Amino acid sequence: MIGEAAIRAGCRFYAGYPITPQNELTEYMARSMDNIEDGTFVQAESEIAAINMVIGASMAGARAMTSSSSPGISLKQEGISFLAAQELPAVIVNTMRGGPGLGNIAPSQGDYFQATRGGGHGDYRTIVLAPDSGQELADLTRTAFEYADKYRSPVLMLADGMMGQMMEPVVFPEPIDVSLLPHKPWTLGGAEGRPSRIILSLLLNPAKQEELNWKLERKYETITREIPKAEKYMTDDAHLAVIAYGTAARIAKGAVKRVREMGLKVGLFRPITLWPYPKNDLRDLSRHIRDFLVFEMNTGQMVEDVKLSLEGKSNVHFYGRPGGTISTPDEIAKMINTLYHRQNLEEE
Amino acid sequence: MNIIENFDLYAPRLVDKKEYLCSGHRACQGCGEVLGLRLMCKALGPDVVIANATGCMEIISSMYPSTAWEVPWIHVAFENAAAVGSGVEAGLKALRRKGKIADRDVKVVGVAGDGGTMDIGLQALSGAMERGHDMLFVCLDNEAYMNTGIQRSSGTPMGASTTTSPAGKVSSGQKTWKKNVPEIMVAHGVSYVATACPSYPLDFINKVKKAMKVKGPSYIHCFTVCPTGWRSPSEMTIKLGRLVVETGIFPLYEVEDGKYRMTVEVDQLRPIEDYMKPQGRYRHLTPDQIEIIQDRVYQEYNKLQDKINGLHAWSDLQYEWGLFD
Repeated sequence: MIGEAAIRAGCRFYAGYPITPQNELTEYMARSMDNIEDGTFVQAESEIAAINMVIGASMAGARAMTSSSSPGISLKQEGISFLAAQELPAVIVNTMRGGPGLGNIAPSQGDYFQATRGGGHGDYRTIVLAPDSGQELADLTRTAFEYADKYRSPVLMLADGMMGQMMEPVVFPEPIDVSLLPHKPWTLGGAEGRPSRIILSLLLNPAKQEELNWKLERKYETITREIPKAEKYMTDDAHLAVIAYGTAARIAKGAVKRVREMGLKVGLFRPITLWPYPKNDLRDLSRHIRDFLVFEMNTGQMVEDVKLSLEGKSNVHFYGRPGGTISTPDEIAKMINTLYHRQNLEEE
Repeated sequence: MNIIENFDLYAPRLVDKKEYLCSGHRACQGCGEVLGLRLMCKALGPDVVIANATGCMEIISSMYPSTAWEVPWIHVAFENAAAVGSGVEAGLKALRRKGKIADRDVKVVGVAGDGGTMDIGLQALSGAMERGHDMLFVCLDNEAYMNTGIQRSSGTPMGASTTTSPAGKVSSGQKTWKKNVPEIMVAHGVSYVATACPSYPLDFINKVKKAMKVKGPSYIHCFTVCPTGWRSPSEMTIKLGRLVVETGIFPLYEVEDGKYRMTVEVDQLRPIEDYMKPQGRYRHLTPDQIEIIQDRVYQEYNKLQDKINGLHAWSDLQYEWGLFD
């Protein structure tokens, strides 16, 4: 799904390295790029090589993508930091699996901190998109390429092993005409007849480095204003809202439907951009919702962002299962039910 | 006298009867790689520390909470078996020097597949060999990333179809020649470099024993058949291992101090079709393409023969040039 969507979004360079559970994407790109006239697929000799090939392809002006799973993304962090510093667009897909270390190959959301806090070294941010379905994998892949080019920034797609392996009917957006994409005036492609351009990230003069850092920061402020996105599901009359993203949100939605049948007024808040976090939307909800239950497939990493958004105005509860275990909607429904009655929410 | 008694009488003189990688692991039927690992362990004995990179052999032998390992073993990431092995060796040396542990020779062994050796692990391997750690590195080469679903590696031979070098209308499988890592190791000045195949078990075991005796780094490149990834019948594993040697595609030789020696002599090379035919990964190749590969096999084989005939051991050269006078 991501592969086809990426090609339709104008991706013409893909570099990958084998790691489960995202090999299907690499294999799809190996088959498909061969059939596109100007498409290039490279199986790199390592994760680090793959991300650096993306840096190169991006400098040359192509829409470039790489993908991996948790341990492989850790190896790519240096390259992601360079992409941010050199203001190069790129799309990176992380199909998260159980960790730390090599962990396992089951779906997990343990890389939330790594994704939203930067992951690599230095003062930078990465746009993070969290799809929750096959359709959204396809849609957000296009969005990712658009944001990458618009903001000249690496964009991370945060999926997990469940999404990496599932099959669903998807309606793909129409392919774009790559030749109609806006001209990038900063690419490197031979300096015949013009002054040569230079892309670098080594700024020995602290004043220059500070200048770059503030320039990046201003860009991040713009992004924070422009793109936060979330889905609200049955939150209008809710006394309690579950907050979850990706696969966890999908499970939570099933749980919300179950408890609604029992007459509990519960909704779901699903952040689609994890950085920038949809703070304002969440703060709006806290006007009429006093209790929030954060549900994640980790030990509670997003809780920080929820608390920062709510600024102590509501109660934040947490339920999570790390390590690649997957909760059932019934399990979450039971949690919601217990919490709902413990907080005496039915009386409101 | 039945067969088992015969085994008891003769085999222990040749091969350690004890298993250090015991049965019950999850390897596929007809896996040549696990056979190689098992023979390697028999040659090494119990006084070792094995650093095993991620890959089939790690997955099938250590699925939590069970393990097939009877010797000290550490599982590491994909790229760093040689680096972790270096650390273990240096750590043991320091402890030995300070008298914290008994002063005996514990061999450190790094094990990785072709991806973990020839692609992502090459940097760490090169470093370990260059620094000269007293360790053996064994590459179990089954010519692709089998654990993740048969993706090509730089060990995949020309023409083989994998999921990332698929054979189809446009492409005819792998487009590059197999990387010659044993030769890269020789270029590092490693004292003992050898190629091996579990279809020749005694040859392999002898090479591992020889490598263990070397003070300093040594490298063995073990060719292992993968019925799952090669789409070959699992009962053909041993036979394919012999055919790859008899066709000259993967000759068995060793390089001691720069001196090349063929350890399994082949009088007349068989045509490579004999080896390729039972394998699904080569099924799409046309006679023309096979001929190109056949020419390359002859060329590489002759190059090796030239080295065997022409190159002397470093010690001989030093003697001849009067460096030790």
